[in-house]
Amino acid sequence: MKIDILKLGILTAFVITILSCSPNTDDIVSPTDKNLEVYKAVLTNIGNNVISETLKDFSLKANELKLASDNLIIGNNATLTAVKNAWLAARVPWEKSESFAFGPVLTDGAIGVIDIAVDSWPVNTTSINLILSSSTVINTALLNTNNEARGFHTIEYLVWGTLGTKTASDLTSRDVLYIKATCADLAFRAISLYNYWLESQDNYVANLINAGQPNSTIYTTQKSAIIELIDGTSGTADEVANSKIENALNGGAGGTANPDLDESQYSQSSKFDLANNLIGIQNIYLGDYNGWDGKGLTDIVKMRKPDLDAIVRFKISEAIDAINVISGTFASAIFNDRLAVANAQNKVLEVQQLLDGDIKDLLSKL
Amino acid sequence: MKKNVFLLVITTLFLSSCSKNEDNEVYEDLPNLSERQLAGGATTIFSDNSNAFSTVAPNATGTDFANHAFGDAQFEQAFVTAPATVNGGLGNIFNNTSCVSCHVKDGRSAFPSTINNLSGLLLRGSVPGVSINGSPNPIPGFGTQIQNQAVFGSVPEARYQYNLTITNETLADGTVVSLRKPVFTLVDSYIALPSNIMLSPRIATPVFGLGLLEAISEVNILLKQDINDSDNDGISGKANYVWDPVLNQTKLGRFGWKANSSSVLVQCAGAYVEDMGVTNYVFPNETGFDQSNGQDGLNDDPEISSSILNAVALYCKTLAVPAARNITSIEVRRGAKTFEEISCVKCHTPKQQSSFNAIASISNQTFYPYTDLLLHDMGTGLSDYRPDYLANGSEWKTRPLWGIGLTQIVNGHTNFLHDGRARNITEAILWHGGEAQNSKEKFKQLSTQKRNELLAFINSL
Repeated sequence: MKIDILKLGILTAFVITILSCSPNTDDIVSPTDKNLEVYKAVLTNIGNNVISETLKDFSLKANELKLASDNLIIGNNATLTAVKNAWLAARVPWEKSESFAFGPVLTDGAIGVIDIAVDSWPVNTTSINLILSSSTVINTALLNTNNEARGFHTIEYLVWGTLGTKTASDLTSRDVLYIKATCADLAFRAISLYNYWLESQDNYVANLINAGQPNSTIYTTQKSAIIELIDGTSGTADEVANSKIENALNGGAGGTANPDLDESQYSQSSKFDLANNLIGIQNIYLGDYNGWDGKGLTDIVKMRKPDLDAIVRFKISEAIDAINVISGTFASAIFNDRLAVANAQNKVLEVQQLLDGDIKDLLSKL
Repeated sequence: MKKNVFLLVITTLFLSSCSKNEDNEVYEDLPNLSERQLAGGATTIFSDNSNAFSTVAPNATGTDFANHAFGDAQFEQAFVTAPATVNGGLGNIFNNTSCVSCHVKDGRSAFPSTINNLSGLLLRGSVPGVSINGSPNPIPGFGTQIQNQAVFGSVPEARYQYNLTITNETLADGTVVSLRKPVFTLVDSYIALPSNIMLSPRIATPVFGLGLLEAISEVNILLKQDINDSDNDGISGKANYVWDPVLNQTKLGRFGWKANSSSVLVQCAGAYVEDMGVTNYVFPNETGFDQSNGQDGLNDDPEISSSILNAVALYCKTLAVPAARNITSIEVRRGAKTFEEISCVKCHTPKQQSSFNAIASISNQTFYPYTDLLLHDMGTGLSDYRPDYLANGSEWKTRPLWGIGLTQIVNGHTNFLHDGRARNITEAILWHGGEAQNSKEKFKQLSTQKRNELLAFINSL
């Protein structure tokens, strides 16, 4: 027995030695480690060619929306259609960017929290209508203290109207002033967000590229940055399945459809929001963006578990397809094509569970 | 006994064989921080990214898990002017429009870049004297919180204004640290303000781990009290006792910068009604219901259901605590030793235990919040000169330090203290006065290396 205790003691000592030494090899991979180079390549590509490019597109499209609003003329439907199309175009990169909603977009910085100002929901229709019927100057200062009366969905409300049928002849001069002010505010925030990430400006992208370097203050390991990316994708899938779809599909009394909880209800464009959220997830996972084919999380996963990687890629595509095959608008489908909406929800949920489960487990062991 | 010595020697040999840098480890008698890694006991999450404050406790299950998810969604809801099909009830007067607008990523607000934009900073106010149940005496026509926002068409109580005063502190190694202090005043008040008002700025704090703090047994907190400094160590520690509108009795205060709230539920209910103007079953009257700018004229109270308020309280109680990091680093362990040597631990009590709780995940846990939940005199530099129940102007509750090193990654800033004046941990320490004056002086005397070790330790939490 005493001998056993002695053996146990020595064994324990060995274990302690291993435990106290091994974190060094886990966390600080030697510079010659090929894996480290792969991680760096993945983080660099996602930072430069996915995130920054998505935000660049957002800033460009938001600026086009501002320019379209500047040209808006009462009674001229072509100018109103141009604003609507520009709004829809700006939504695309914004919704894609939700899969990496960390860092500057959710920092209470020099211009407040960008995400809250850009995409606040629901809109305060009472405030908007009171502002329209008042003679108050509609400027950034006013919008800064009326958060639910600015951003994408306020513009959407002003441009499409409650029933989605607004025409250029329905516009009032106050509508036009309000639309111009909110579009300018949105464009300013979109450009600010891009500049936060831009290498030549605030260079937030460096935090991803240089993760794990001795002077890194945000991500002290590459793994930490990689898990940030995975959490961003699974968080988006969670929001799509458990909030955006669930609330509209089953958010009413007795688990029935509730169109009031359909987010882009005035423009009837929620289906595109959902699909672009999933494409944003796909972009981070694959390292791709609008035809660019770079290194993504897939390149780390498939080195270890190629089967799992194939499943994830398939499941993300399947979820995007399931959203796209929903018939008609999302607003009508929550009543008339409920099985297709529920199917899409399940497919997104499967993506969420894979990303937050097997994939995160795997990447947590890097 | 001989065998034990033998084992110790073997262990020592193994340990010291690890790396050259750690040669001195076994001779230095440094604190072993391994058990403190699980900062939240079984509610601990291993996360060091922007979601470090935002994850459900890994041991939360069943209805707690489901209600947490529901509370999570509610925490993010923005409120709008009533009546509305979705989330009506904002205002008439308010400070912000959602929980998450102040507690972004369930974390801490920065000092506002523009003082009257929507932000996570608000001003409490009162006039001399004490109101019923010992609470601060409300400013007639304003109450005890100044709402600097209003729904369009209504008038805010007042707008905030501040001036910064700058002072310098010089550390022993010659480093000069510039300290800023905002002094607040009110402008554009909707009616005339009395001349004797007292204002106290408060900034939004992280909301994780609150269930554990609520579950510390009262006796464990009170045992640390030393109101008359009987042990003569210069540090007293005093419990606040506050009115609990749910239990209808005076209770030990635990939450808020002055421990002026007895439970997470009361804190959340107060935030709904005072910060957002959203009535609830604990506070069914609009803030300012008796003011010309406060009543919405609707018969819609409470504006949120009891299930929403309860779920948001449960959400805060069951958010995971992020694990401590770098606990085996010699630098961090040396810092931990200095943290003890200069008596930071006397108020920032590392270890606490929860008693039995109806929420299983927070029940009977050992955890490391680094707070005693007691009030301490922090000196005139931090004083707001405004009493809050038993807390006088210079008395503040010891802030928990868990998660503090993740503030930068979660919230993108390192603004600390009740008004966000400190721009980093060093500045926050240098604002410590009163009972903490001696610790502050010792901090100033530290060598550069020791100071960096101390900061490395605090940032590991």
